Amino acid sequence: MRGLWTMVANDLRQRIRDKSVFIFSLIVPLALMGVLSLVFGGLGGDTVELKPATVVASADDGDRLGAELLGAVESLQTMDVTVRRVPAADVRAETKASGADLGIIVPAGFTQAVLSGQAASVQLIQGDGGTLEAGVLVSVVQGVVDQFAAGSVTAAAGGLSGLPPGELGPLAQQAAAGPALLTLTEERAAAEQLSLRGTLVAGQAGLFLMFTVGFGVLGLLAEREQGTLARLRSMPITGTTVVTAKACTGFILGVVATTVLLAAGSWFFGVSFGSPAVVAVLILAVVSAATSLTFVVARLVRTAEQANVAQSILAMVLGIAGGAFFPVQGTGFAATLLDLNPIGAFIRGLGISAGGGSLRDVAGPVAVMAAFAAAGLLGSRLLPDRGAQA
Amino acid sequence: MLAVHSLTKRFGELTAVDGVSFHIRAGETYGLLGPNGAGKTTIISMVAGLIPANDGTVHVAGRPMTPAGTEAKRTIGLVPQELAIYPDLTARENLLFFGRLQGITGKELTRRADEVLELIGLADRAGDLTKKYSGGMKRRLNIGIGLLHRPGLLILDEPTVGVDPQSRNAILESVERLSVEGMAVLYTTHYMEEAERLCDRIAIIDEGRIQAEGTRDELITLTGGVDRINLRGGGSMARAAEALRALPAVRRVDSDGTGLLLTVSDGPTALAGIVTGAGHAGMSVTSVEVVRPDLESVFLHLTGKALRD
Repeated sequence: MRGLWTMVANDLRQRIRDKSVFIFSLIVPLALMGVLSLVFGGLGGDTVELKPATVVASADDGDRLGAELLGAVESLQTMDVTVRRVPAADVRAETKASGADLGIIVPAGFTQAVLSGQAASVQLIQGDGGTLEAGVLVSVVQGVVDQFAAGSVTAAAGGLSGLPPGELGPLAQQAAAGPALLTLTEERAAAEQLSLRGTLVAGQAGLFLMFTVGFGVLGLLAEREQGTLARLRSMPITGTTVVTAKACTGFILGVVATTVLLAAGSWFFGVSFGSPAVVAVLILAVVSAATSLTFVVARLVRTAEQANVAQSILAMVLGIAGGAFFPVQGTGFAATLLDLNPIGAFIRGLGISAGGGSLRDVAGPVAVMAAFAAAGLLGSRLLPDRGAQA
Repeated sequence: MLAVHSLTKRFGELTAVDGVSFHIRAGETYGLLGPNGAGKTTIISMVAGLIPANDGTVHVAGRPMTPAGTEAKRTIGLVPQELAIYPDLTARENLLFFGRLQGITGKELTRRADEVLELIGLADRAGDLTKKYSGGMKRRLNIGIGLLHRPGLLILDEPTVGVDPQSRNAILESVERLSVEGMAVLYTTHYMEEAERLCDRIAIIDEGRIQAEGTRDELITLTGGVDRINLRGGGSMARAAEALRALPAVRRVDSDGTGLLLTVSDGPTALAGIVTGAGHAGMSVTSVEVVRPDLESVFLHLTGKALRD
């Protein structure tokens, strides 16, 4: 065990001294995060702020459902809405003249028409700006009117089935004013809780992890080229100790670099990844997966130069497919392949964590990364060592 | 200290080492002399436990040497032909790292590192990164690392290749000193002069086999123990050749048109009589060269080719 840690300490000392690990594992990815955040994320951040809106409207003073419609618009919690009442004939002109976002004309006798099952039409006039706020207001009015329409349909159905007229009104009123029987609650899945900037930070951390772990196991090839591997093999340590030491070096560098990148990304770009414990588990899992891949590369190549090329190709393929630069979707077999990508699993896991997910919630992505690590280690045992044959 | 028995290594169809056996005693320097590709480095690799043998055994201090074993490796120090040092570490850091892997720690490790740095003449540059060293300095450090743990057997694989004369001499002096101190040394080279200077016994290797083994003098007797004398000059060389053939020490006389080439036993002793005899026979001698037999002659005699072919 002493020999193992002596080798790990020696490797870390050299990696720190030659500074390349700082450049490729920290400085370059951080710079790339910044550039990509500007390119893809813009300067305004990820959230949309709705501006205060103005609505020009008309409705009869005694029309109860008309008042309820305008009240629903005015009491929106997502944005400030000012409703200015004008005569019906002036709504269109006033909307255009004042630059209001929306004009609403509730027809005379609106409540009576709804309760008796007769047709009634609410007119909407969009302002010239065609603003996002106007779209939101139209959706709100549509939703309220749909509920009123349910009351109107109820009244019409009651009339057709022979209910006395005196009973139709209360029934329709109950349907129109009561709570909706079916509601649709829109929530975002936990995996989607990662903002665009969060995705970029996580993706770049995952992508450059592939390069960072290469400083470990692939160091075996450098040792072979500089002659020190022969001397190490003449020392009273086992070959397993030498390989394990390289893996430990890559693992330690990977964990430190990924942790620093996520922390720095959080700090610079205002991203939260959730529970530190969950994030730590995800980091350990993805570093294990990446390290196992370097074992495979180390078996397949003959020189350190070939190893660097192979590692770069794998990093870019896995990084892009995993969503390091932009989300990648697939269907069928392609979707399954994408799901097995450790970088993709890492980003998904961080998304779940950022959405408040627990260790149990990230079990899926962690299992994918662990399976990848196991497959990599197994593959490296089965593959012939081309470098040793050279 | 080292016993090698019937060592054989095959790479596919090629038999790189074919049934090699030899032994080295403590305090003895044993040389493997042969041209490039003769199998010296393959023998070294099996003796140091870097690669497995197809057949045969290696025992160091009585312990079997295998790639997986660690006990026998504690008693050897390997100086590979290629430099085996870390360029981003200082000389001292290189020594401390490999010393720790040998199980040496604390003040003992520091003390031995200081001793080795003095021995190899790098004490004043011990704190410099080795990538800033000259080729000779790197070579000396390469050897120093192999000495740090005071191995019973030091294995040097062509340690002076590509080294400047000054560093080369320093390396050879170091090896001589270590041998005097009781260390067994296995030394491979294709430089005849190094083998003659350093080695108590020498094995002449070619095509994976030991062609001959013994002390320098024992090997030279294989050539018949004769010297060559080159006489240059003018006059009656035919008469001189005839007269010289009659001398008891002279075994053969050849003429190349500009002088006479004589094969003689004990050339230095016979020289005076030869020069006098040539003069009396009418040859005016202008220069004389006595060429004593060496390991190059032995190799040529045994294999029919030169060491540097």
